[in-house]
Amino acid sequence: MASQGIWSGTISFSLVAIPVRLVKAIDPGRVSFRLLHKKDYSPLARRMFCPEEETMVPPDEIIRGYEIGPDQYILMTDEELESVSPERSRTIEIIDFIDMKEVDPVYYDHPYYLVPSKGGEKAYRLLVEVMHRTKKAGLAKFVLAEREYLVAVTPRDGALALTTLHYSEEVLPDEDLPPQKGKIAAEEESRIRKTIEHMIEDFDPGKYADERRKKLMDLLATKAKDKAPVEAPVVEEEEEEGPADLVAALEESMRKVKPH
Amino acid sequence: MAGATIWKGYIHFGATDVPVKLHTAVREERIQFHLLHRRDRIRLRQQMVCGYEKQPVPSEEQCKGFEVEDGKYVIVDPAELEQIAPESSRMIEVHEFVKTGQIDPIFLDRLYYLEPDTSDIQGKGFNALVRALKELDVAGICTWSMRKRSYFGALQARGKMLRLSTLRYADEVIPVRSLELKDVPLSEKELKIGSELIEKLTAPFEPGKFENEHQKKLQEMIEKKARGEKIVVLAPRRLKPTGEDQLLRALEASLKKAA
Repeated sequence: MASQGIWSGTISFSLVAIPVRLVKAIDPGRVSFRLLHKKDYSPLARRMFCPEEETMVPPDEIIRGYEIGPDQYILMTDEELESVSPERSRTIEIIDFIDMKEVDPVYYDHPYYLVPSKGGEKAYRLLVEVMHRTKKAGLAKFVLAEREYLVAVTPRDGALALTTLHYSEEVLPDEDLPPQKGKIAAEEESRIRKTIEHMIEDFDPGKYADERRKKLMDLLATKAKDKAPVEAPVVEEEEEEGPADLVAALEESMRKVKPH
Repeated sequence: MAGATIWKGYIHFGATDVPVKLHTAVREERIQFHLLHRRDRIRLRQQMVCGYEKQPVPSEEQCKGFEVEDGKYVIVDPAELEQIAPESSRMIEVHEFVKTGQIDPIFLDRLYYLEPDTSDIQGKGFNALVRALKELDVAGICTWSMRKRSYFGALQARGKMLRLSTLRYADEVIPVRSLELKDVPLSEKELKIGSELIEKLTAPFEPGKFENEHQKKLQEMIEKKARGEKIVVLAPRRLKPTGEDQLLRALEASLKKAA
């Protein structure tokens, strides 16, 4: 992963500060299809497009606008956005350490990894190791683009994972859902319990991923018999992806529109 | 209020069917920005662009391909995709049960609340299922399809209710080894002081204590700008990284401070 990261800054706890980058932990594209141009089989990329000028707009010509009326916007530069909470836009400050078991999974939103930047390797390793030993997670708030996130930082296989959490006002209470009334018949419960006990296995998520992949591969295998794969034209790498934060913001907005 | 019912179906395992209704568990309300073209303030649209021609490609000129090797694709047409699309079904099929502690949280994606569907007179077993899942401390690993997509998930008891989390597929989770982290030796003293420090800084998790203050401040800034007031741009705080040779000293000073 040559990724420059979604964000870069510092993670701190008490008087220790570690330079880090935020990178993806999830890559949904690995067994999915790509959109191609029918004409030349070149992969398509998502770009911002100005409908008025009918041109592609590079990241440095893009600005965020808050709509106050039809076609009326309040413009916000990246600097102004960072300025809303300047203490949090480049620093993930761990406020408390917590026992991750106390966190109801309903709060979990999206996972990322943190990787150490130059000079931060040792303190990073230390934070991973001591959180692992004490079985604790760090709780912090930080700002990425226009959003402030409450996050939990946890050790995972020797790395720091960062999971964004929902704010409690976003979590809908479930107490008002009516549980079923009436007594549980003892025989029904024991039957259900027995069925479950017979079906206990070890958690093996790879199995389900393989099944999904196999279905796809079967389809592709029958296709490959009829026709050879097509080849996309070679394109020079694009020099620049644009400001990482903006790319992240775009990804974030894409994630939101994904049907759920 | 729990969210509106978004889907109805039944949980199936062994010879048992439990009719349920699905509700959303989370509602996000955030200030939304649009992306504009800086010079003319025209609202931009997302567009798929051909990497080779650098031109926008309308949807009728797009096709789907699966990359079999670098730059080589097998083209699949929509009718074929339709064939492997999941059949619509009302069944959440539980394949197995696992100890809840075995589920790595990195797999958890979206969460739904389930309520018993009492309109189905055949339906029962909801409470018995909740109780059994709780007592055995297990989650049901299940698959279902909803809106032409197949899902993989974990069914768990929480309080008197059932919850269903969609799980990410294993091949979507980037393994830590691909991060190529370096192993750095640490002294026992550093580890000991570090662990002590963490224990000292540990507090109970109280999510209600955290408000999204930023959202309010952002709203204020927008209003200020709307009134034409000048914004003072503040530079983000940047901390000086703790050097390798200062780590032990920083830990000791932190511990002293926390005491």
